[in-house]
Amino acid sequence: MTSKAKLTLGPVLFNWPPEKWRDFYFRIADEAAVDCVTLGEVVCSKRLPFFEPLMANVIERLQGAGKEVVLSTLALIMSKREMDIVRDITAMNGLLVEANDVSTATLLAGRPHTIGPFINIYNEGTLAFFAKKGATRVCLPVELSGKTLSVLSKNAGLELEVLAFGRLPLAVSARCYHARAHSLSKDNCQYVCTDDPDGMDLDTLDGEAFLALNGTQTLSYSCNNLIEELAEMQQMGINRFRLSPHDIDMVGLAGAFRDVLDGKSPGQELEELAEGLIFSNGYYHDVEGGRRVAAE
Amino acid sequence: MTPPFSPVLLAGMALYPVPAAMLQPALSAALLIIHRSHPDVFERMGEFTGSVILIDPIDLPYAFLLTPDGRAPKLVAARNHPTNEADAVIRGPLLSLLDMLEGRLDGDAMFFSRKLEIEGDTEVVVALRNAVDGAEIDLTADILSLFGPFAGPARVAVKTANHVASLASRDLQTLADALLAPSMARHDAHDARLRKISDKLGDMDKRTRKRRPEKS
Amino acid sequence: MTCPSLELVCPAGTPAALRSAVDAGADCVYLGFRDETNARNFPGLNFNNRELAEGLDYAHQRGAKVLVAINTYPEAGNPGPWYRAVDTAAALEADAVILADIGLLDYATTTHPGLRRHLSVQASASNPEAIRFYVENFDVKRVVLPRVLTVAEIAALNKQIKVETEVFVFGGLCVMAEGRCALSSYATGISPNKNGACSPASHVHYEDEGDRLVSKLGDFTINAFDTNEPAGYPTLCKGRFMAGGKTSYLFEEPTSLSLGTMLPELAEAGVTALKIEGRQRGRAYVAAVVQAFRQAVDAVHAGQTPPLMNLENFSEGQQETTGVYEKTWR
Repeated sequence: MTSKAKLTLGPVLFNWPPEKWRDFYFRIADEAAVDCVTLGEVVCSKRLPFFEPLMANVIERLQGAGKEVVLSTLALIMSKREMDIVRDITAMNGLLVEANDVSTATLLAGRPHTIGPFINIYNEGTLAFFAKKGATRVCLPVELSGKTLSVLSKNAGLELEVLAFGRLPLAVSARCYHARAHSLSKDNCQYVCTDDPDGMDLDTLDGEAFLALNGTQTLSYSCNNLIEELAEMQQMGINRFRLSPHDIDMVGLAGAFRDVLDGKSPGQELEELAEGLIFSNGYYHDVEGGRRVAAE
Repeated sequence: MTPPFSPVLLAGMALYPVPAAMLQPALSAALLIIHRSHPDVFERMGEFTGSVILIDPIDLPYAFLLTPDGRAPKLVAARNHPTNEADAVIRGPLLSLLDMLEGRLDGDAMFFSRKLEIEGDTEVVVALRNAVDGAEIDLTADILSLFGPFAGPARVAVKTANHVASLASRDLQTLADALLAPSMARHDAHDARLRKISDKLGDMDKRTRKRRPEKS
Repeated sequence: MTCPSLELVCPAGTPAALRSAVDAGADCVYLGFRDETNARNFPGLNFNNRELAEGLDYAHQRGAKVLVAINTYPEAGNPGPWYRAVDTAAALEADAVILADIGLLDYATTTHPGLRRHLSVQASASNPEAIRFYVENFDVKRVVLPRVLTVAEIAALNKQIKVETEVFVFGGLCVMAEGRCALSSYATGISPNKNGACSPASHVHYEDEGDRLVSKLGDFTINAFDTNEPAGYPTLCKGRFMAGGKTSYLFEEPTSLSLGTMLPELAEAGVTALKIEGRQRGRAYVAAVVQAFRQAVDAVHAGQTPPLMNLENFSEGQQETTGVYEKTWR
């Protein structure tokens, strides 16, 4: 039986070389069991020029393969240039746009749009407000517990989506930590973030893996994995789950999630697919986000 | 109102090898007074009122176990340092602890310098620090309030500020006598230590001259 | 040239600190209730209703205002404590509430239209469109700007908006965009947005290993200090970490923001109010820092160069920075 649950591929958060980025999406278009693909630069406006020229081709290929395409946008908008980038994207017609900052949601108000996990929606009051403004789908922030999801899923008034796989986007800053790790400034960053397709590992002084740097963004070292919680969320009425791209076999990974959503055992083991990424699911279980809570 | 760490009380304890039990009436009385005049300290301890905090001035032969329970607060002196009976330990020089008590020195600054050592439940220590800082405990006033008949003239002297140091040292002597002399034999060596502590207290008072205006 | 008037907004974690701030020359004092409704929900800190009422009296008698921060994000299914906090602030006639959550702003606007609303830094409104959203929907009168903008960007922003702005000028420094950081909850389960505390003391441990003192937050080592090195509180983003084979204060050194020398530029940039961080700090800190900034602001108003402040002793790690306000920080 095929469930009505849908899979969304989140935007690539990392700075992949343009060709790699394009080929990744081409393969997703041709092979991946995802229903929707969200793409566009979220982290750093300095990266945009590199893959902008490839965007039209990628969108065409994805749409041609029957995928819904949503344009994602910057999470932190500080300068006029960044504001203008977002104004341009929101002024386009024909494509659904995902807001990751309140400013973008404002520009999109009054017409259908989606909200990404970088806007603070912690409760039903805020959710209702965005629904009233025209949001049709919200991918909820990382910190929410299963209990909170179950409250929000009642009378949500729009479609809820939950981050189900990938390193957790924990923070965003004006400062570039990737550049700082290389003793460079943000203005003269030499695009060192390109070297780390899954982010740059950050360890504690005792050598324990802790976080991952991605330019101005800080991610968890561990990889959020809610595959064992999918059924419970589906019972709450949540029917859309987001997979955040990593430099692994995302086609295989999407397949495994699809299998589990459809009540089958996954075709490939997640541990194997994740190529050494460590799993966590603590936020869902209302404990430290970095913890892995065993299934009951 | 006598705070548990009144310098006078502590100096007295440093001087004389009093069995801890003999201090207990004075400590309990002091805590009772502070409990009456600063109930908010205990209220602010919130969920930590049942916690036991070992306050260990490293330059005294005593440590103190404080239970900041709003209904039945306890302050017990112990010659050994019963770390295992406490949820948290604050250890540092007497003067630093006094600074913290009076809110004269910024808690964080002390807290994070190596002057002060913290063991156990950090949250309990933070709660105590915040609670005490909010209480406006005023040692000079507290000391003076103990002097009954001396209090009037002493206050006048304090207002002139210049006399604070000498006053404190005189009061220290007086109070130490009053509290402890009846049961103790006096020795010259103790007097020397008393003078040393008096000088320290004098310095402390110099540093506090720029205190805020009197409470209305 | 006459300089626009700058308002000095000062922290109070206790009634004693409130009085210290007012006595030292604060134009405004900001504070929170003793629960998870504000972003300094620390043990032993903050105000109950009676203390707020008394604090309002004390401040108002001396010409100062009191702003109530209700700037965490209400828990789904449990908005009661946050609604009550807004109701209480309105009933006691606080001068304004400082809010971050859109749902709560909506409640305050609908229920207490006469209660002045400020947008908290925790809402991280960093650009003209975001600010327009809060002004148009909730009629906020002032926006506390996140610490992501340079002075030049603040000046440009102020030209595009018609609402007062408030900026941090001293104290602890978030290096991440405020209200958009889950590092603390990742390590401890306690979050600034949900619980009102970052790197909470309940999860802090110091381990004396003989040759070094290790500070831990939850299970993670945040820093380690040699015997003679000054120790620090393990605020996650001020820790020492290893990346790319190097050990460093990767996010930020233990340091505090200090913009004493930049006040004339901030006035030029069209800022209305200057905020001092530190509701969790003692009243010694409040008195000293407020007094120094009172003198500096008065000097700026008189067209003079503000005096040097000598507040290093109140700074984390005894270090000061102008932070993001200068572009090189990024």
